[in-house]
Amino acid sequence: MEKGVQRWLVDISKWNPSSNDFSFALSLLPQTHHPSITRFVKMEDRKRALVSLLLQYALVHEVLGIPYSDTVINRTLEGKPFLECGRFSFDIPNFNFNVSHHGDYVAIASEPLCLVGLDIVNFTIPEKETVQEYIQNFSSCFSSLEWDRIITAGSNEDVLTEFYRYWCLKEAYVKAIGSGLGYGLQKVEFHHINWTNISVKVDGVTNPRWRFWLFDLGKGHSVSIARGYPRSAVESYKRSLKRTEFDEEEYNVGLNLPNPRFVFKTVEELISVVHKALCSC
Amino acid sequence: MASLAASSISFQPPHALATSRVSGLKLVSFMNQGRNSLSFGLRPMPARVRISCAAKPETVDKVCEIVRKQLAVPSDKPVTGESKFAELGADSLDTVEIVMGLEEEFGITVEEDNAQSIATVLDAAELIDKLCSGKSA
Repeated sequence: MEKGVQRWLVDISKWNPSSNDFSFALSLLPQTHHPSITRFVKMEDRKRALVSLLLQYALVHEVLGIPYSDTVINRTLEGKPFLECGRFSFDIPNFNFNVSHHGDYVAIASEPLCLVGLDIVNFTIPEKETVQEYIQNFSSCFSSLEWDRIITAGSNEDVLTEFYRYWCLKEAYVKAIGSGLGYGLQKVEFHHINWTNISVKVDGVTNPRWRFWLFDLGKGHSVSIARGYPRSAVESYKRSLKRTEFDEEEYNVGLNLPNPRFVFKTVEELISVVHKALCSC
Repeated sequence: MASLAASSISFQPPHALATSRVSGLKLVSFMNQGRNSLSFGLRPMPARVRISCAAKPETVDKVCEIVRKQLAVPSDKPVTGESKFAELGADSLDTVEIVMGLEEEFGITVEEDNAQSIATVLDAAELIDKLCSGKSA
């Protein structure tokens, strides 16, 4: 089952494709995905979108061994990608994944049983307003406990760091359940001991079926992972899952799997994996 | 007030983005796909039929200006009523900030479920005009 737990990371600042290189990489992906990449106005966004899809196809191929031609990746109404054609296997009963990108990094995380959500934040310093003015925009997304932690964190840098970390965790949770909505985020309250032993209280009640991690990636980026209960997924995403019912024992196995470190992949490696998969069809 | 003339809504595959104008009605089926970073904030409601009244050009222009600044869109790239926030590179933090910026600029309050239905500059402009005219009524 551990094989289903993957954490891959790409630093796209290291990839500067010529327009031919970009077209080639694009050609490796099914035509149906092309508009979702080319619709972006900025090249950096196109790069992120392309690399995100390469990660998805490469990971599915490597972990599940599904032939390229059988691999269908779709999106729910809210925009969460999922594998349409996954097969049943005893040791990977509910394969699902999530992607994120921000700044220089694009990442993917997968789980064999529990839901997974992932978010990268790039700590950007607001340019046109003070830190206080900036974070005030988002105050309704935090519980009063969290907000208090943020505004009393210390220097401007500390306040901003605290803010981004809480934000990152909330995003990971929301993305794990596949919700695209505003969702009453202030009700999802995060507790931690120095950003470890992270747990969540929803409407004041601790939810023991979730685990969270937060890591620094360097270069002013952090990444959060949420691992949790398949039945908590929103309806549209739940329909895409292979299995959502697990007994206590089985679920605990999935919940307590190791959470490995992120493995760095280069875009060239991903291109090579996907290209090989494509050619062997 | 335009009445709902179209009675059938066609669902398209998630990757196809389709909006069609049918005599004043704007049918928007499946929006905002292709965003690889799923986020809360401005998220359009799926398959929602809305009555579209043209927004004032000056509102549209002002929204374009705010969006262009927030998303640091290069001056050689156009930002128009049809521009989608996601395609201009808006992430979850940007979308919340844009809504706050619009609230401040126009002196309005945008409810969460309204904020979720804004996908383009025009959507925002129409909502603003509606809220503004509601205020002065």
